[in-house]
Amino acid sequence: MFKNLNVWFFLSLIISIFVSIPIVTVFTSFFENTSNYYEILKNTFLVEYILNSLVLLLSVLLFTFILGTGSAYLVSFFKFPCSDFFKWALILSFAVPPYIYAYSLTAFFENYGTAYTILKNLFGDGNYNQNIPKFDDMFGAITSITFSLFAYVYILARASFLYQSQNLIDLGKNLGFSKFKSFYKIILPAARPAIVAGLSLVAMETLAEFGAVDFFSINTLTTGIYNSWITFDDLAFANRISFFLLLFIFTLFILENLSRKKAKYHFNTRSGFKQKEKIKLSGKKSFFAFIFCSFIFFMSFLFPLMQMLYWTIKFPENLLDLQIIELFINTIYLVSLSSLVLIIFSLISNYGNRVSNNTILNIFSTLSISGYAIPGVILAIAFITFIAWFDENIIKLFGFLSIKKIFIGSILGLVLVYFIRFYSLAFNGIKSGYEKINISVDESAYLLGYSKKKTFMNIHIPFLRNSLLFIVILISLEIIRELPITLILRPFNFETFATTAYISASEDLLEAAAVPSLFLILIASFFIIITSKYILRETND
Amino acid sequence: MTKNFFEVKNVDFNIGGKTKVKNVSFSIKNEGDVICLLGPSGIGKTTILRTIAGLEKINNGSIELKGKTLSSKKTNVSPENRNISLAFQDNSLFPHYTVEKNILLGAERNKGRNEKKITLKEIVDLLDIFQILNKYPHQISAGEAQRASLARSLITQPDLLLLDEPLSNVDQSFKEEIQVRLKKILNKLKISTIIVTHDSYEAFYLGSKCGIILDQELKQFDDPYKVYHFPNSVEVVNFLNRGILIPAKVTSENTLENWDLGKIEGNFIKKYPKGANVQLLLQPEDLEHDDKSNLKLEVVDRKFRGTNFIYTLKTPSNTLIPVFVHSHHIHQHEVDEKFGIKRPIHIDHIVCF
Repeated sequence: MFKNLNVWFFLSLIISIFVSIPIVTVFTSFFENTSNYYEILKNTFLVEYILNSLVLLLSVLLFTFILGTGSAYLVSFFKFPCSDFFKWALILSFAVPPYIYAYSLTAFFENYGTAYTILKNLFGDGNYNQNIPKFDDMFGAITSITFSLFAYVYILARASFLYQSQNLIDLGKNLGFSKFKSFYKIILPAARPAIVAGLSLVAMETLAEFGAVDFFSINTLTTGIYNSWITFDDLAFANRISFFLLLFIFTLFILENLSRKKAKYHFNTRSGFKQKEKIKLSGKKSFFAFIFCSFIFFMSFLFPLMQMLYWTIKFPENLLDLQIIELFINTIYLVSLSSLVLIIFSLISNYGNRVSNNTILNIFSTLSISGYAIPGVILAIAFITFIAWFDENIIKLFGFLSIKKIFIGSILGLVLVYFIRFYSLAFNGIKSGYEKINISVDESAYLLGYSKKKTFMNIHIPFLRNSLLFIVILISLEIIRELPITLILRPFNFETFATTAYISASEDLLEAAAVPSLFLILIASFFIIITSKYILRETND
Repeated sequence: MTKNFFEVKNVDFNIGGKTKVKNVSFSIKNEGDVICLLGPSGIGKTTILRTIAGLEKINNGSIELKGKTLSSKKTNVSPENRNISLAFQDNSLFPHYTVEKNILLGAERNKGRNEKKITLKEIVDLLDIFQILNKYPHQISAGEAQRASLARSLITQPDLLLLDEPLSNVDQSFKEEIQVRLKKILNKLKISTIIVTHDSYEAFYLGSKCGIILDQELKQFDDPYKVYHFPNSVEVVNFLNRGILIPAKVTSENTLENWDLGKIEGNFIKKYPKGANVQLLLQPEDLEHDDKSNLKLEVVDRKFRGTNFIYTLKTPSNTLIPVFVHSHHIHQHEVDEKFGIKRPIHIDHIVCF
């Protein structure tokens, strides 16, 4: 068990233990005393929290499945007008976080909102408000989260569909199956692990969602955690709810892992794979496919973009009021610093795992990458809990000055929690790059006289260069959109586009939220466009 | 007593905590000698090479090169400090470098050495890889990757070269030519080499010594001629799959008697007492065809192998015996026909168990 112990092993172990701290904190806090608030809540709202979380989760899962799998099926198997455009345009929805979608939805459908203005301009004055549907409460939250997250299912389902061999489709035809029967008897079951993996990501993000549900004032476990901390200042109780949510999420996490293992059964070798020929659709079918994809593209990306653009133009004073350059610099500063830290430590950790091949390290690595499954709210609160405990019990014991200010409400604390939250993204991204390097490549390097360090620098880094670039952009995208961690841990007077949008929206100044939201969408879209080739890299067409 | 150039002494070869081959001893006497290790898949041949290269450790015995201990229970020289090159069976080329760059990385190892015995051009010509020099590993076939990997190993000019199934992915039509070229270059460069293969013809051609690994043991380590003609165990006979064992009784110091074939004469490799019951190794080339002979056996199968036919004959006691006949033989025998065997039967080397 302790063979191959070296400096790489210890570095990897330290990184993994550090990233595991919040998870351990939440689990240990479960046994601490809480205020009376817990007893009151247990008998009143806790059931509501759980029920709301469940309704939200199941509805979002259903709709993201329909939208994600449906669009992936159409663009993977058929040719119709703009199908090549939709192939990458549908992932632009990632640029719109659920909370910004929620602002757009409300802004459009609210009384005297954009929908009202359009109707008034078209048909003159009238009492339109009562006929305009209202997207608030649960329905609004479901819509916002669905359109913002469906692309997880789309990307993974599409990748899986692309790897389905033409032989499989031919087999269906040979058995006399109709297109529909082929879809649900052959194509869908073969893509099941990928779709389940996509839905698991959606589930984790939905349960962790804070901005949109808070905006619609829906009480879920996540908002419950935030409120118990911010309103009742009860960290132990926040951790107790976190514990329930984590159990829920870990179940999903395990399911996702299991389904990913099965995904290895897909055709992925050159010998067993026969490139598919896309079927050209015509007439009604072509029209339907075009309308379906256009609807999703419009709703998921164009609609919030246009709404934010419209308000920015309509209320230009907000543009001038906002310190855009400062927000931009703050955002880029956070993104660069966090990406750098994440990439360096994930590389070291991955290499340590590779050269040590140690059971203990594997266990800690698995535990540490579960950070992504933990909602940002929980991570931030667990981090504060840990620092407070450490300060009280360790630092003060030795008579040192308090370290709270160094870690809480500072850039350092923010970067550290981002590190924990997005560590799995960086770690897994590099790991999948490493999986493409056969271990015999390392061994060949050693046999050519390379040391471990030289192998790492001269063989691994150049090979992983493209993967690293891709991971940096993915991390940037996540940090730009991230809300709760930034909100809780940012230094005083330090704002990003996300926090500025949230603060304006929570003060009912939706028009003011439009400018930072628009900039956020534009920057995120830029990152998505330059990485779309990688995101869709499984494609050969 | 002169020291062997390379020596493995009483080593158990392990991988992942499992012993693959036990108590192995063999040596390379002189620098430049080539030896081959033969055995079925999964028997532990690759583990032996990986251990010699320093990629796996040993718990007993020792591995020595040029008089220096590389591996023992206490010593383990790291792979990068052994000057041993291993060409893996699977593609182990650096995926982000072209084939040329991959090979040149091999050359870097010996930058300091004054004597350059072989150049990139010579290697490229030798293995016929000029066309793929500017390609990346994923753009070439498995056979080409194997040749590129071989080129990288050769150009390092190591003290000991280890080749793991070096030509297993090379096209059959090209394989023999590469074998000839490889043998020539190994002779020229005087690189001591251990080749692992499951192809007995390749082993017999390239190796001055051959080791047969079966049932977790190195069963025999000898000249290819001796391994073929004087196998030391029934397991080696079965592995080489070149003949059958038939019951016989020793009748004198140079004759035996088989119930179906009658008297067989020749030179015993090992002495047996008169009257001993033995299993006689009968190889396809041991029996000669003679249409006029009165010893007739029934043909049950006939395989055309280009230069010869292999007839399978059934004896009265239902033993199946393989016999080679030159394919230019005047007439062919069909299945169920009778086939004459020349008498008296004479076998140069009589091998019994």
